[in-house]
Amino acid sequence: MKEYRFRIIIILAAIALSIYLLYPTFLDYQNNKHIQSVVEQKKQEILKQNPKISKSELEELLTIVEDSVKQSDPSYIENRLKRLKLGLDLQGGMRVVLEVNTAKLLEKLANNPDQVFNSSLAEAQKEAETSDESVVEILARKLQQKGIRLSRYFGNIRMDDAEIIDQLKKDSEDAVTRAMEIIRNRVDQYGVSEPSIQRQGSRRIIVELPGIAKEEEAKQLLQGTALLEFRLVKDPEFTYQIMERIDKALAKVLAAGNDSLLAELSDTTKKSDTTAAADTTQKQLTEEEFKQQHPFFSVALLDPQGRSADAFVKEDDRNKILRWLSLPEIKKEIPDNVEFVFSAKPISTTQDGKKVYFMYLVNKQPELTGGVVTNAVATLDPNTSAPIVNMEMNSEGAVEWARITGANIGKRIAIMLDGKVFSAPVVRGKIPGGRSQIEGMENLDEAKLLEIVLKAGALPAPVDVIEERVVGPSLGEDSVQGGLNSALFGYLAVAIFMIIYYRQSGSIAAGVLILTILFILSVLAGFKATLTLPGIAGIVLTIGMAVDANVLIFERIREELATGKTLKASIDSGFSKALSAIIDSNITTFFTGIILYQFGTGPVQGFALTLMIGIASTLFSALVISRLIFDYLASKGAKISIG
Amino acid sequence: MRIFHNLNVNWMGMRKTFYILSIALFLVGMLNVAFRGLVFGIDFKGGSEIVLQFEKPVEVAKIRNDLANIGLGAVEVRTFGAETGILVRTELQEIPNEIYPKVVDRIRENINKILPGVPYKVVDSTMNSVTIEFDNPDTTNLMIAELFAQGFQTGKISEELDNKQMIVRVGIADWIKEVLREKVKDNPFQVVKEDRVGPKIGEELKRDAVLAVLLSLVVILIYLGFRFKFVFAVGAVIALFHDVLITVGLYALLYGLIPGLNLEIDLPVVAAFLTLVGYSINDTVIVFDRIRENMKIHKTMPLEELINRSINQTMSRTIITGLTTLLAVFVLFLLGGDVLRAFSFTLLFGIIIGTYSSIFVASALVVDYAQRTKKKVQFS
Repeated sequence: MKEYRFRIIIILAAIALSIYLLYPTFLDYQNNKHIQSVVEQKKQEILKQNPKISKSELEELLTIVEDSVKQSDPSYIENRLKRLKLGLDLQGGMRVVLEVNTAKLLEKLANNPDQVFNSSLAEAQKEAETSDESVVEILARKLQQKGIRLSRYFGNIRMDDAEIIDQLKKDSEDAVTRAMEIIRNRVDQYGVSEPSIQRQGSRRIIVELPGIAKEEEAKQLLQGTALLEFRLVKDPEFTYQIMERIDKALAKVLAAGNDSLLAELSDTTKKSDTTAAADTTQKQLTEEEFKQQHPFFSVALLDPQGRSADAFVKEDDRNKILRWLSLPEIKKEIPDNVEFVFSAKPISTTQDGKKVYFMYLVNKQPELTGGVVTNAVATLDPNTSAPIVNMEMNSEGAVEWARITGANIGKRIAIMLDGKVFSAPVVRGKIPGGRSQIEGMENLDEAKLLEIVLKAGALPAPVDVIEERVVGPSLGEDSVQGGLNSALFGYLAVAIFMIIYYRQSGSIAAGVLILTILFILSVLAGFKATLTLPGIAGIVLTIGMAVDANVLIFERIREELATGKTLKASIDSGFSKALSAIIDSNITTFFTGIILYQFGTGPVQGFALTLMIGIASTLFSALVISRLIFDYLASKGAKISIG
Repeated sequence: MRIFHNLNVNWMGMRKTFYILSIALFLVGMLNVAFRGLVFGIDFKGGSEIVLQFEKPVEVAKIRNDLANIGLGAVEVRTFGAETGILVRTELQEIPNEIYPKVVDRIRENINKILPGVPYKVVDSTMNSVTIEFDNPDTTNLMIAELFAQGFQTGKISEELDNKQMIVRVGIADWIKEVLREKVKDNPFQVVKEDRVGPKIGEELKRDAVLAVLLSLVVILIYLGFRFKFVFAVGAVIALFHDVLITVGLYALLYGLIPGLNLEIDLPVVAAFLTLVGYSINDTVIVFDRIRENMKIHKTMPLEELINRSINQTMSRTIITGLTTLLAVFVLFLLGGDVLRAFSFTLLFGIIIGTYSSIFVASALVVDYAQRTKKKVQFS
């Protein structure tokens, strides 16, 4: 037994690790079933109470129900993050490949474009569609052929063509960064779960949105120019008054039970919603009472010292607040010319990992919009070495800016992109000439982000959809079913064949094959990889290929037995002599797997990944696990039939 | 149970026959590629494709008829999965200019149906979408919801509360859906899959795919060159070329001949070809491994006899490893659904031809090389 101990420990550890990695997937599956049943039940209830409810309203309510169930237990989210993810082709969703339209960008960048420029640009654009060369390069070549220097349209007269080309290339790369930031901002806002936004190459962005139902709306998020606005933030006193009025009105509405669902939801929200501010200011009230009397302040927390009226709001509560604010009873408490908006990025996280955002009250009417910003650069202040952003405006904007800043010294101006606040600096003094310096960023990254945001208003990043794939959830379900069936029956066919042909040895191989599949799935989950339909095909293929190693070994053992060796000696030499063929053949397949992974996209990569993981697990199963079983049985003197 | 036990066949003596067979298969395939051509899926060709799931079984011929004269040129229509599924495909990516006004008219009609006489104006129209402005945000929201319910892809132009503009997409897919909704009234459907691929991406993918296949062949050549003598590596890689090209030829030969089997070259099929390259080499390695071993034992045995003996000794495992994989792939072919059918077909045929070439082509080439150069072939 001793000689096997080490191997047994390794194998058991591998199996235990696999189960550990796959357990969240199992739990998540259970949770989903539970959530679905709750939502279904609620749906029936709502329909009974209010049969005439419109479809979109029903959906909205059900989303709230779903969210609140999910929030009620943090382990739901935890399991969800650790589960084996399904690809878009299996769960349904939308995949869009966007490409920055360099031609449009060049058109915007060009100073005094004339007929020659426009026609050259059009030609360049056409040529770029079928060429590897970028639009910038082709345009430069075309203009050079015509004997025109690039500096006639771009940069300044002292720059030579190479410099300008470099500059333009950098501009178009920047455009991709901007587009990504804009898209990320909007997707966050839209509330898609687990979106993926990746950059591919220098000009492309791949956006994957699982489970999107309204594709046009989603696509609208991705295209179009971002709206940059400068809006005045209201004074703390004013904001606090408004909040108090909302709070009172809301308490009344909830108590009256006009919106039964909302009332119920605010009851069921977890007790763990500790309200730091509330604890200090309202000691005499219990948490429950506070929540009833001050529903608004229980989710929009204020600084207890009252220095500012920027409320802290947890990520989950943002939608709840928006819904409350849209109720007619609440709406009339808020002046028409102001609105509540949230910060784009979380400012901190709570102990249980929830992100916290600022909520500001700002004017609806922007003081200025982004068209006036001509440039923004993130840098370090040479004196204090604190991160700053230098912003420049055109002459028109500068005049307005001087007036605005002059009239609002000491007040704050929110810099907003697509309705989200990225920064709300205080106006120190009147800024003539349009050159402003924005301070208060934590680090250079934050400053860089603000630079991107400010430029987004100045220079749009026109993107084109060059590929889009939408898979409906029903097709996804069919695919999952087909894949599972193939895996099951594929396994049965192979297992039965092995048992018939190799008897006991075959059944050992068939048993070990289950572990191989377990390993593949757990490694996928552990790597946070995605299981796609071709990925399932890879698993089925692995089922067929995994026993190949066993076949090679068994055939060797048979040969060795035929020469008259004992079972134990035959097993030893069978395994060792088959080794080189097994390794050589698997390594070549592994190489093609790597190449496939490099070349492929999305689903095909999923296939390559399962193929490679499959090969690794096959080797482990055949060479370590099967070997151990054979050795152990042989040492016990058991007779193992091999057909 | 055992098969091919104590086999003693002079395979190398028959190699001329196998050469002729291989060349014949190759020529048939290549002639078909030359004259019938290969059909590429939209992954490579670019275009639009939608899959519709009807509630009741539909006749493909009727749908084809319905879609024949809607201004989209040649539209391909076929079943997808069960008889309630329809796949519609066109090489176009944008609505043609002639059709565009019709599509916009359709939107106008629908707006008028929902709120007769409501004032609106078209503020922007691009090849892909129309932007329409209404008088107030509420009308806009209502219109977006109503039109969306009717199957239009609508959205707000911005998330601002006072947004008055609505964007309606006018894509190929939308037009097809609109037409069918009109013409197949008694049988509602939903869209389960929708793909649109630009032509540039297709070109890139095609190039990448060919590169990937070639690269994997080169990598295998190098690896086997290290593990065995170079001539063996060359023999193995020629056999792989043989497998890939004959399978490609089969694609051209069988396209459209077998109902329910859609042999179009798309991304998963390329993945299958690469897998084929990786898998088909396995059997060759098994034989070579045995030849290497036998060479050490029987130092004086003539190469031809040595190879025959090695092939005979490994025949059973070559066949069985192929067979188990074939079993799994066959199940995938039957149950894996439409999306994976061409993929599993490639592997199904590829494994058969790969096993054949491992036994009869790769080693035979080594024998011929040795005879021609009168060299004694050995392993390192």
